[in-house]
Amino acid sequence: MTLSWAGSPSVKERVERLRREFDPLTLTQTLISYSILLAFLVAPLSSLVLQGFSYQNAFSLRWFTDILTSPEYVSLQSRGGRMFEVRRDVMYIWGYDHGILLNSLVVAFSVTVLCSVIGIAVAMIMGRYEFKGKSVFRVILLIPLLATPFVNAYVVGKVFNPRFGLLNYLLYDILHVIPWRISVDGLVGLVVAQTLSYYPIVYLNVVASLNNIDPSLEEMAENLGATGFRLFRTVTFPLFLPGLVAGAVITFIFSLEDLGAPIGFIGASANPLAKNVASYQIYSAFAEAMTGQISPKTSALALLVMIITVVSYVVVKTYTSRRSYTMISKGGRWNPRVRTPGLGVQAAICISLLFLVVWGAMPQIGTFVLASTDWATSGTLPTRFTGEFFRALLTNNDVTRAIANSLGYSFAAVAIMVLVGSSISYVVSKRDIPSKGVLDMLATVPVSVPGISLAVSYFLFFSTPLFRGSIFDPLTDPALMLILAYTIRRLPFMTRSVYAGLQQIDKGLEEASMNLGATRTTTFGRIVIPLIVTNVISGALLSFVYSMAEVSTSITLGALKEDRVPITFFISQIVYGTAAVGAVSIGASLCILLMTVQITAMAVSTIVLKQKASFLGV
Amino acid sequence: MVEIELRNLTKLFGEVVAADHVSLTISDGEFFTLLGPSGCGKTTTMRLIAGLEFPTEGQVFFDGRDVTGLPSFERNTGMVFQNYALWPHLKVFENVAYGLNVRKIPKDEVKERVYDALDQVELEGMEDRFPTQLSGGQQQRVALARVLVINPAVLLLDEPLSNLDAKLRVQMREEIKALQRRLKITTVYVTHDQEEAMSVSDRIAIQDHGRVRQIGSPREIYNVPQDIFIATFMGRGTLLEGEVTSSEDGVQMRIGGITLQGLDSTGRIKQGDKAACVIRPENYSLEEPSEPSNVLEGEIEWVFFIGPYTEVRLDVDGNKVLVDVPPGVEAPVGGRLKVYIPYKDTIMLPLEE
Repeated sequence: MTLSWAGSPSVKERVERLRREFDPLTLTQTLISYSILLAFLVAPLSSLVLQGFSYQNAFSLRWFTDILTSPEYVSLQSRGGRMFEVRRDVMYIWGYDHGILLNSLVVAFSVTVLCSVIGIAVAMIMGRYEFKGKSVFRVILLIPLLATPFVNAYVVGKVFNPRFGLLNYLLYDILHVIPWRISVDGLVGLVVAQTLSYYPIVYLNVVASLNNIDPSLEEMAENLGATGFRLFRTVTFPLFLPGLVAGAVITFIFSLEDLGAPIGFIGASANPLAKNVASYQIYSAFAEAMTGQISPKTSALALLVMIITVVSYVVVKTYTSRRSYTMISKGGRWNPRVRTPGLGVQAAICISLLFLVVWGAMPQIGTFVLASTDWATSGTLPTRFTGEFFRALLTNNDVTRAIANSLGYSFAAVAIMVLVGSSISYVVSKRDIPSKGVLDMLATVPVSVPGISLAVSYFLFFSTPLFRGSIFDPLTDPALMLILAYTIRRLPFMTRSVYAGLQQIDKGLEEASMNLGATRTTTFGRIVIPLIVTNVISGALLSFVYSMAEVSTSITLGALKEDRVPITFFISQIVYGTAAVGAVSIGASLCILLMTVQITAMAVSTIVLKQKASFLGV
Repeated sequence: MVEIELRNLTKLFGEVVAADHVSLTISDGEFFTLLGPSGCGKTTTMRLIAGLEFPTEGQVFFDGRDVTGLPSFERNTGMVFQNYALWPHLKVFENVAYGLNVRKIPKDEVKERVYDALDQVELEGMEDRFPTQLSGGQQQRVALARVLVINPAVLLLDEPLSNLDAKLRVQMREEIKALQRRLKITTVYVTHDQEEAMSVSDRIAIQDHGRVRQIGSPREIYNVPQDIFIATFMGRGTLLEGEVTSSEDGVQMRIGGITLQGLDSTGRIKQGDKAACVIRPENYSLEEPSEPSNVLEGEIEWVFFIGPYTEVRLDVDGNKVLVDVPPGVEAPVGGRLKVYIPYKDTIMLPLEE
């Protein structure tokens, strides 16, 4: 008798429940969140999809078949390039050209594999061994995460240059340990530059997983006779696999959408092979967009790249959410499996890590050298220190304007992110409204949307006659579009940070407030906000940093009007070589500025706000 | 102060029935307890009264006014949460003043009323501390002061003592009872601890699987339980199952080789039925009483010295029977014991379900 009506609440009851669930606060928050996400994520991307799938106003796969069948995009036979090829005294390691799209995928795949290998190795060392200097390594291993857009690849290119490069100078000219000068450039150059920048992403994700493994699980396996590699393969590896794939997919996405390395390499060596990747091709099509057009084929390529990244992200996210092992450890000591090896092994660990760090931090070190010396023009080694490039940050009008623009965009974007991000997190974590899953998904998925695809979609959508001439039209004024692009792209950082805070708030704290006569709005203002304020600030700092260093939309949409350009566009122009020789040092000093902002923000977040440094993952 | 009426209140969480057609009336100024094992729906029933959940079916009335659809902040109930739910970012004073501030009470009056409330719960001088700087018992008092200060129409206490240690628990329950008497406030108290429920309540409702099984004074519930669930849930006892041989002039039941005579307060037991007999261990006597009694004799299997009495387990023709014996009585394991139990204390209940 009691179960006869179970499971099917009446229509009236459902309406009643909805009415109660949508109190003024929830309604406002839901509306704000949806309107921003629909207008500046869903609508533009839909127009990209629409354009990609239509030809002469009808549904068509023409653009995709065009791309997939043209050797310019996909070619199983090599169309050029050199791999381990020796000419005169130089060995060329450039990679073969298999067409734009295939090149992108091969580069991204190679970077992901290399980063995974390095990331796992470093994570196993950092997570399982105790050695002198470990705390120092914990910090300096993260140096590659400091933003040095374009300049990092420029430095890699410069160091590997066969004629003046530091590496050849050292190994060939001085030490004579290699039989030829080596030239690492083109696609292989991209792989090297990106691997050096992205391995910490995998490392951080794996080490987080590794620290989460209940030590007794491994002890049990050992107790049953599994040791060494067998233990690693059968127990340890499967348990940190979710962390590994989370880090790996982010690396894959970042590599695929990266513009910094291609542009940086072209700036360093003008090798056209570095241009033959999808991201660069879409970017260069933007230069023509000044006239108000983007070719449908470019849109289709942007769409294709986006489909690849979004699908891999969604697949991995679904997989990891099903495989997030909750480590059940009832009582007992949580004895971390950290071994202290002998001094010889410790020294070996330190030397290999140091080797990695020197390589990984090379772009950042190089940036510093470029900014503070005459290295940009002096050849192999710098000859003198100079402060002129730092001074230029204050005196050069173009530079100061770019800084002011970026600051303005980032502040505005962060303000919107605080509002939208906290609304979304609150609705998703505390309210029970229909379609909150959609909201959650829309707020997370921008991590996987390539900035370059978003830029194309903004251009397609907001330069239509509907918006022409309005503040939304990037051809009229890209400022608002840049702010919104930053907002959408960095929103996941914000929501994740706030969400973490909200999960710490017991439901009773809000209920007690409402029980004592406060509406939900009052409760949100007086109870919830004060309790999550550190998470909001921490998320805001992180989003601010990543907005300042944003590349893809900045150098495309941002290029559309000269007095609106942000920092990263300015750096790209300098590195690309359109600005005067020697100016690359000004770009480097701008990167130093970015790094300073980033380090400050991270320090405030971890030391003052006591927040765990947020990192990139699924 | 109000009278609360729940009419046919039902709450479903998906397929789970948390409250099942609950109907009851709590009088103005009454101390009413919802008692039951965990998961029985007592907390849900209280949250339905507070407006923190809304029923799938049925209605809630305060003084005859239908408040079923009203949100919590319009009901003027004061709820003390099991984990106290003190706001960690607010000082004690601010925690207690919160309900007054959202009501836009003038500053001076707020101050006066907050100090008054803190006095009532004996927390003078603690107003500048943060909740984390207080002991469990003090946090409990702050939670209490925080709701008392708004003069709630109903005081709702959700397992308020479950996070305190045993000694403090007894002290606090006395204080809560005294406070309730002084303020004459309608109080709903949720607990799974039957001793706690008996000691503070005017009336108790026993809930199980969402349904209210019995409502009555502690004495009624203990002495005249309406079904086996209640009889075994409340206090200790021996449960014997057998067949009813006669249902005229009390109930006579045969359990293996023993025959017992007792009272059927439910009126549902008929001759030939399967039935159960519940006997409280403290109701036996060692000497034959003047009133008509059953006699049980068996071998002493087990002896536990508790202090005020000795708990003895007898084997009576294969039935295990729990008997409390005065501490001075010699009761060696393996010896024999003869005990008497008056008919009126032999509770007969129908075997259902």
